[in-house]
Amino acid sequence: MDLQNQQRIKDAADKYGSENLVVVLGSSDAEGAEIYAETVANGDPTFAGPLAGVQLGLAVYDIFEDDIRSEADEAAWEENLSMMEMVLDTEGLCVAVKSMRDEFSRFSI
Amino acid sequence: MGKLTGKKLLLLGERDGVPGPAMEACLKDSGAEIVFSVTECFV
Repeated sequence: MDLQNQQRIKDAADKYGSENLVVVLGSSDAEGAEIYAETVANGDPTFAGPLAGVQLGLAVYDIFEDDIRSEADEAAWEENLSMMEMVLDTEGLCVAVKSMRDEFSRFSI
Repeated sequence: MGKLTGKKLLLLGERDGVPGPAMEACLKDSGAEIVFSVTECFV
């Protein structure tokens, strides 16, 4: 994950409290999604960025998971996401993010 | 009350997946505050 974005996440956790944050991912592949989810929950696995060794335990979801989808505006979803929903391996993305969340997140919605 | 009500959202989009603004459009009325929304790209 971009080092600048790692810093922004760390700053947000300091400012608002980890328990109040929910990270939503829009990754294109399951492997990338897994790394993002691990980074925000358990720290940067590459030990390169500000989240290295920082276990925020944030609640992290893929945009296509039912818990998030059910909260989305239906018309906006149709307009912005329905196309990508057909193209991407949404099941693989959701399984990847959930597995990291189950292992490392301290919070959920 | 929705599941996201009162939460702070961090939206991490991807250019080849779902971009930040697309997620923002879908979740802006979810009762949560969007703290930031980004779109990363890998080239």
